[in-house]
Amino acid sequence: MRRINGIHLEKMMNNGLAYLQQHEEEVNRLNVFPVPDGDTGTNMALTLGNGIRYAKSDEHAGAYLRSLSDGMLLGARGNSGVILSQFYRGLADELVRTPIIGPGELRAGLIRGYRTAYEAVVHPVEGTILSVAREGIEHIRTQITRNSSIESILSMYIAEMRKTLSYTPEMLSVLKEAGVVDSGAYGFILIIEGMLKCLYGEVIDPVEVPAPKTQQPLVDLSLFNETSEFSDGYCTEFILQRLTNSRYKQEFDKQSFISELRFFGNSIAVVVNGMRVKVHIHTLYPAKVIAFAQQYGEFLTFKMENMQVQHNEHDLEIAKKKEHKALAVIAVVNGEGMKKLFEDFGCDIVIDGGTTMNTSSAEFLEAFEELDADEIVILPNNPNIILAAHQAVELSKRRHITVIESGSVAQGYFAMAMDVPDSDDAPFRVSQMMSGIENIATVSQTVASRDYSYHQISCRKGDEIALLDGEIVSVGSDYAKTILDAIAAIEDIDEKETCVIFRGTGVDEDRGEELCESLSARYPLMDFECINGGQEIYHWIIGLA
Amino acid sequence: MNDFILMADAGCDLSAEFKKKYDIKIIDGHLVLPGKGDVPSFMEWKDVTREDFYADLKKNQSDFATAPPNTAEYEKAFTAYVKDGKPIICITISSAMSGSLDFATTARKNILNQYPDAKIRLVDSMRYGPGFGLMVVHAAMLRSEGKSFEEVCDYLEQNKNRFHQAGWLDDLSFVAKKGRLTHPKAFFGTLAGIKPIGEFDSGGMTTVLGKAKGAKAAYAVLLKYIEATIENPEDQVIFIAQSCRYPQAEVYKKMIEDKFHPKAVYINDVYPFCGINVGPGLMAAYYVGKPISDDLSTERALIEQFISEGK
Repeated sequence: MRRINGIHLEKMMNNGLAYLQQHEEEVNRLNVFPVPDGDTGTNMALTLGNGIRYAKSDEHAGAYLRSLSDGMLLGARGNSGVILSQFYRGLADELVRTPIIGPGELRAGLIRGYRTAYEAVVHPVEGTILSVAREGIEHIRTQITRNSSIESILSMYIAEMRKTLSYTPEMLSVLKEAGVVDSGAYGFILIIEGMLKCLYGEVIDPVEVPAPKTQQPLVDLSLFNETSEFSDGYCTEFILQRLTNSRYKQEFDKQSFISELRFFGNSIAVVVNGMRVKVHIHTLYPAKVIAFAQQYGEFLTFKMENMQVQHNEHDLEIAKKKEHKALAVIAVVNGEGMKKLFEDFGCDIVIDGGTTMNTSSAEFLEAFEELDADEIVILPNNPNIILAAHQAVELSKRRHITVIESGSVAQGYFAMAMDVPDSDDAPFRVSQMMSGIENIATVSQTVASRDYSYHQISCRKGDEIALLDGEIVSVGSDYAKTILDAIAAIEDIDEKETCVIFRGTGVDEDRGEELCESLSARYPLMDFECINGGQEIYHWIIGLA
Repeated sequence: MNDFILMADAGCDLSAEFKKKYDIKIIDGHLVLPGKGDVPSFMEWKDVTREDFYADLKKNQSDFATAPPNTAEYEKAFTAYVKDGKPIICITISSAMSGSLDFATTARKNILNQYPDAKIRLVDSMRYGPGFGLMVVHAAMLRSEGKSFEEVCDYLEQNKNRFHQAGWLDDLSFVAKKGRLTHPKAFFGTLAGIKPIGEFDSGGMTTVLGKAKGAKAAYAVLLKYIEATIENPEDQVIFIAQSCRYPQAEVYKKMIEDKFHPKAVYINDVYPFCGINVGPGLMAAYYVGKPISDDLSTERALIEQFISEGK
């Protein structure tokens, strides 16, 4: 198509909005770092939606655009919405007297659009919607001729914008830090893509659809090569449509389906929705999974990824940690949940100490090697590891390594929470972290693994027991009561203001809330926080400050 | 001649009492609330209590959003007074936290095309919430004293970095996620019981200068900090902001009254327009004092000293 009128444009805009809405959540999720408004996708969709509602159908392209852009200007929400509306304002300004848009007019409109958008912003920031809209057209303007089709112009425009989009993290460091591309720019491209799809006859229903997953980063296939050893299997996901045709098995029971799948792999998740079954499994033998599933029906979607590539990417991430830091923290924890928690806190290296928490000095030394930092702080988080940590410091002959003798993850938690990463004063940060572990009482609760008797305490295997700073202080049949008794035994309990509760593996959230409630009934002035710690052995670890 | 309009966007969190007393015009922003969609911002708890609002926000953070007034809304607000030939001083929430100033700037430009003689001055408060509100109140007090349009503008530009924040934000997850804190990445995670103490920085955001373990320790540090930075406290009206920390704010108010004997101390709410971005954990005093250093080095040294003294 070489020329479009207002009716074409209206359909294209509707399709652009529908396509953006389809991806709205995805765009919102990109919106993690310094942008003045939280929900870019929503804001852009609201802005464009308002324009479309406001616009009057008109064969005259310029007239349609004028009313569309007026509606967008009125309904603009947030930064991206305003910039979007200004882009369309520029487009409308350029084309207001143009009844039918050809290649030359479109080019002029796209140029005027981005220029108007730039003017609207007091301090234009590169790496945003502005950059993609500018480079998108500037890079192709000389290639547009009288004979170019609208489709080809938009295709080139999108291709150039996508290129620029992939560079946005280089232009704007906040994006790079967050590991995302610019959300507004992405949203803008989606709108134009939706418009182009319309020209190709792909009309998108403007209905709510489940949000697709965030686009995966491109995988570097060279990470798995002829010398690699295959050990991690494939992450396999599919939606199976069960069929009533008698060729397929008709009796379907979710539990036995899951039990069968267990023969082929792990990390299994199965969601049944009527005759559709969504499956996630990690397997070394996808062919077997496919053959098994195909007895029940056929695949609606199918996705398979070599997890080794993902795994290797993870290794790369660790390698990246070598960037220079003023202060780096190494912590030892047990359990995946706890590992993630300490990583979220900003720990540079989290060593999984295993259930018995016996990290060696060598592991610490390896960790030192991985870091490029002026100061290193170690949080052993267990009395059994403090020595190994000190030894590692001695062996390494490096200066500026401080072992903060945290005897529990609760103490480690308070040490991390007290850090002031904003400060350039490393000794101050270390002293803040050290003050974090002072006056922390730790209560740990579990089930006795054997009969036990010491001083006045005795228990049988299977009894609920609670320890206060490493000593068993209460025994009983009710875990909550043992915890309450242990807390009551804290000498300066009346001085405590805060209680942090880490739930272990297998302890569900409801029980955490129950415990919080019974504790806050007993200590109404205390602040409580319940965190999924995911530690093994101890069902509960509780820190009181 | 001081017959001019004082305007502020919804980020100033001024109570109805102050808006009325000082005749301050507010331009509403937008809120996206779960189940209600896009609604205008509000500055009183009518349909929902403070506690319920923040409890909901904490639970479903991602369902809430805010957007500043857009260009068309600014244009409308300005035109209403420009038509009558009234000069306008419009103070906006920190440009580091919101696009409000950008939109006001575009609107001003458009108005000037239409009304070349219009007199509109935009001031970036570099503050948010009741800290911004206190600045607006100061401007209004100067106007009541008979200061001219130019004098009030000059005062704001020359003194905005003397508006201090002494308080804590004990749930940093909101500001960190919304990018409204300097170095946000370092602050993910929960901080039960820890009171991060923040001051306004020269970029118009908040920088955490230190942390105190527990409220008692935090109050002690904060009172020392106010003492070291405030000027003529007995002549001042001090604001205390709290998003959902009213009991702590009351304790703080009493301490400030006892120690500094200011003219008055008001506890102000942080309403949804700021609250959605700040979260429930803000409890801070706002006052006028010594100019804040550009790199916060002076203020950081004070906080570090006071935290160490408390140990």
